[in-house]
Amino acid sequence: MHAKFSPEELAFQEEVRGFMRDNFTPDLAARIHHPKTFRDASVEWQKLLDGKGWAANGWPVEHGGTGWSATQKYIYTTELAAAGAPDVVPMGIKMVAPVLYSYGSEEQKARFLPITKSSDIWWCQGYSEPGAGSDLAALQTRAVRDGDDYIIDGTKIWTTFAQYADWIFCLVRTDNTGKPQQGISFLLIDMKSPGITVSPIISVDDEHHLNEVNFENVRVPVANRIGDENEGWTYAKALLTYERTALSGVGYCKRKLTHIRQLASQVSASGSRLIDDSDFRGRLADVEMEVMALEFLELRVLSAIDSGGAPGMESSLLKLKGTEMQQAVQSLQWDVAAGFGGISPDADDELWESDGNKARREYMFGRACTIFGGSNEVQRNIIAKFALGLQAR
Amino acid sequence: MDFSLTEEQVMLKDSVAKFLADNYAPEQREAIVKNEAGYSAEHWATFSELGWLTIPFSEADGGFGGNVADVSAVMEEFGQVLVVEPYWSSIVLAGQLIARSTNDDLKSRAMPTVISGEAQYSFAWLEAQSSFSLSHVSTTASKKGDSYHLSGEKKLVLNAKASHFIVAARSSGDVNSESGISLFVVDATNPALKIETVRLMDGQHACNIQFTDLVIDQADMLTQEGDAYPLIAEVVDEALVALCAEAVGAMTYLYKATAEYANTRKQFGVTIGSFQALQHRMVDMFMATEQCRSLLVRAQCAILDGSEERSQDVAVLKAMVGKYGRKIAEEAVQLHGGMGVTNEMPIGHYLKRLMMIDMYFGGSDIHRRRFSDMRYL
Repeated sequence: MHAKFSPEELAFQEEVRGFMRDNFTPDLAARIHHPKTFRDASVEWQKLLDGKGWAANGWPVEHGGTGWSATQKYIYTTELAAAGAPDVVPMGIKMVAPVLYSYGSEEQKARFLPITKSSDIWWCQGYSEPGAGSDLAALQTRAVRDGDDYIIDGTKIWTTFAQYADWIFCLVRTDNTGKPQQGISFLLIDMKSPGITVSPIISVDDEHHLNEVNFENVRVPVANRIGDENEGWTYAKALLTYERTALSGVGYCKRKLTHIRQLASQVSASGSRLIDDSDFRGRLADVEMEVMALEFLELRVLSAIDSGGAPGMESSLLKLKGTEMQQAVQSLQWDVAAGFGGISPDADDELWESDGNKARREYMFGRACTIFGGSNEVQRNIIAKFALGLQAR
Repeated sequence: MDFSLTEEQVMLKDSVAKFLADNYAPEQREAIVKNEAGYSAEHWATFSELGWLTIPFSEADGGFGGNVADVSAVMEEFGQVLVVEPYWSSIVLAGQLIARSTNDDLKSRAMPTVISGEAQYSFAWLEAQSSFSLSHVSTTASKKGDSYHLSGEKKLVLNAKASHFIVAARSSGDVNSESGISLFVVDATNPALKIETVRLMDGQHACNIQFTDLVIDQADMLTQEGDAYPLIAEVVDEALVALCAEAVGAMTYLYKATAEYANTRKQFGVTIGSFQALQHRMVDMFMATEQCRSLLVRAQCAILDGSEERSQDVAVLKAMVGKYGRKIAEEAVQLHGGMGVTNEMPIGHYLKRLMMIDMYFGGSDIHRRRFSDMRYL
């Protein structure tokens, strides 16, 4: 029983720190956190990581992964967060790639994996529909076979960064006769295909991340289907598992808490400090204590993986508790920073960089994290069934 | 980084679990608690035979050479069935004060009897006005020749049948000062002691003790005069981790027992466990238990790694276990409905025990404040 890193792990930590210091410059940080420059800066950042061999660190080694232990992945994620650097945009590297290398044909792997890794292609995810959110299997976007093509008709919604995307990976209905989970196929669709319309959805942070994507008589080669027809649900479910084992955001929470402590330690005009206020200390401590627990919940899961075991239901707790804590720190950050000014979404550059504006953006954006990837209510249903053995009605 | 149990720890846990499965069913426990001492002397002798009393002591002292993780493995099993024998008070808490004493002569006299289980020591520290602060000691110790005269009162001393008390008393310094505190071994049969037994709600038999001019030889002092505080702080930190391991065992029992009950109890023609409103509450019980278990691992590592943040990690563990232990037990009672409020059902006994664990050495709010004071400078 010990939580120390080995000398090799400490050396790796130093290497990651050095890389972040040298490559994630204040200039890049400013551009990556501004919506106007986000796309290009994200590509630039992923290319820097790819140059180091770290962009696709979770992939199998033969496709360009690193073969890192779970502990190394933890160190990497922690140092990334400590530097304030975002992880790669997940849709390519973390979401479609595992399906590609697990179920794709050799041709599909050769065509898509290298350009996904190097960020020469931008992916978006076509899962949710207006009538299929938490109940994803209710999706109705139709794919009708016509010779060597499918003809696609339907609507996808909440499609993050579809406005930048070159390709979309989609779940579509190829059969309506069986259970809802049957008859779904997994397609890769070129966003330049005629008949695709992307309409923006402005979210509560007043920014454009989300979109509605319409398909009207869109022709897609059958060769762009992953695996077998009507087996898409199986592949997507495996992908959701990848998504869920993505970590809990504990590094982000720790960085934010450090920032909150710094802000709260500033001396106000009246000569007092917020951090000396007993009500505030209690609230801050409540959040910190939960994050300290979450950190070790995550380490327990990673340690189990490193010892060759499979993570248990603790890993689905990570998504649940992790997102709750992200929102908790965003709330605290807002309470501490709101008074620092600059909370308008139309702020000029100086106000945009203010603590108040950052707090506003993160709080508003953070509303989504307990909804996407399977809402936390759905996560609770899953845990009730698989961890506690409770039967649904 | 490695949080897995060693082979020895797994075997130890299994052997403890097996003994308890045979000897600690709820009705067996009820009979044990009704004993005059509040526990079974027979079980205590078995603990000794099975070597459990030797676990946290070094091989040089005649022990097994175990650490806080070994003790916690045992305590977690104890928590699953609410063991009442004075293992924690005698072996983990008072036993470690003796084992880490700088008075070698006293240690060599006392240690064999502690490890054999023949003697049971109990740490008498809490005072009526101390607000659970370890350094608040108003009990006085005045030196006269080769002995000390002790006067004062101690509250809620665990194990009313203890053979010896380890009394914290002050020979110098302000009433809250960390310096000036000494620890004295006092024979429980000393006629200068007035002992009032108090039966606690979790079945434990504790006592309040009072004494005036209690004469103790300086050979029975655990450290040099006035410098016992660091020893107390270190031993209490470790003991609280073991106590929280017991709580995590109890919490684990509660969420599992509640899910099991919900899967069998039928209302409106279906099992109540199929109601989503109840499912989500049980998931939150499970999640709170895993959060506390994670802090338990964190605190164990802090102790074993010699971390500077040991006291912070222990304070957080105690604060969260106090808060969530009670919360989980309250939820378990609620989800058991009418049966939950009966004494016949074990659930309520877990609630009582978790409330007492929260209270020992200060409740959740006190430890949250302790953490805040260390963290927010």
